[in-house]
Amino acid sequence: MSNAIATVVENGRMGRVAYARIAPNEDLVTGVEKLCLAEGFRNAFVRGALGSLVDGCLGTLDGQCVEIKGPAIEVVSLAGEVRSTADGSLSAALTGVVADTQGNVYGGPFIAGANPICMTFEVTLEEWLPEG
Amino acid sequence: MRQPLSRPSRPRTLVHPGAFNPVRIHSRHADHGAHYRLLLQPGLSLYDALIGPLAAAGVKSASTTILGGFFDTLSYCCAAPDGSGQAVAAYSAPIPAGRSYLVFGNATLGKNQHGKPIVHCHASIRTEDGQTRGGHILCDMSIVGPTPIPVLVTALHGFELRVSHDPETNIPLLQPHEEHPDE
Repeated sequence: MSNAIATVVENGRMGRVAYARIAPNEDLVTGVEKLCLAEGFRNAFVRGALGSLVDGCLGTLDGQCVEIKGPAIEVVSLAGEVRSTADGSLSAALTGVVADTQGNVYGGPFIAGANPICMTFEVTLEEWLPEG
Repeated sequence: MRQPLSRPSRPRTLVHPGAFNPVRIHSRHADHGAHYRLLLQPGLSLYDALIGPLAAAGVKSASTTILGGFFDTLSYCCAAPDGSGQAVAAYSAPIPAGRSYLVFGNATLGKNQHGKPIVHCHASIRTEDGQTRGGHILCDMSIVGPTPIPVLVTALHGFELRVSHDPETNIPLLQPHEEHPDE
């Protein structure tokens, strides 16, 4: 019973806060997961993020994706979280808006493995400590 | 409208001008975040509206979320391949967006190489002619409109964000460093 409720409303508190600069050619999504490994976070929320991608790749309906050719694609809005999963691995889910070399914007979920960082990516994570 | 693909293309690995740094994630943490709600004041540049009140509150390094609001004028730029070959990408000339609405943005507060505060801001905007655009916001050329704009500030204590030259990309970049409390 309590588990079923916990999947909908999770009580917890914020813990540590980490800032990172992720280097070029690293993937945005798995890079954020590795930042959690580096800092020992098991669950976290993105508190701020900006930077550029070589090319952008965002998910669409039906499991497809759109690609936006750079370089560089600017990440202009980003929100998301990292969660510890049932098999013990970490999984980041990041969503946002990117701008191409002309300032045109595209939005959606960032596809893991398909969003290589171009120059730099700055990200601030706040650790989430679920209770119970 | 872009044609969706059933699966992503293989990511490209770009070659940067400088030596590859084997450390790919440079991170630091604080034991807890310190949060502030800031209201960007009308008539100030985005730079002054962020830097002034936060400096007065003792905040020198922070990640901020700008929660949306009008600007009397706003300029931004995009990133494109660097024709000079000095770096993989470089900023375009400033693009004036006119009287704009900032939809959502993140701004990082830190210091430049000389200890002076700097702001690095990316945002999505709606320009005066009604288009939704995005890019690197030119904070000293963007003036807060008549209504104060709320900002959630996550202050970083125990370390600082400072611009230093990054040999690999050959550009100055914000990176987390040990604190220099004397500045």
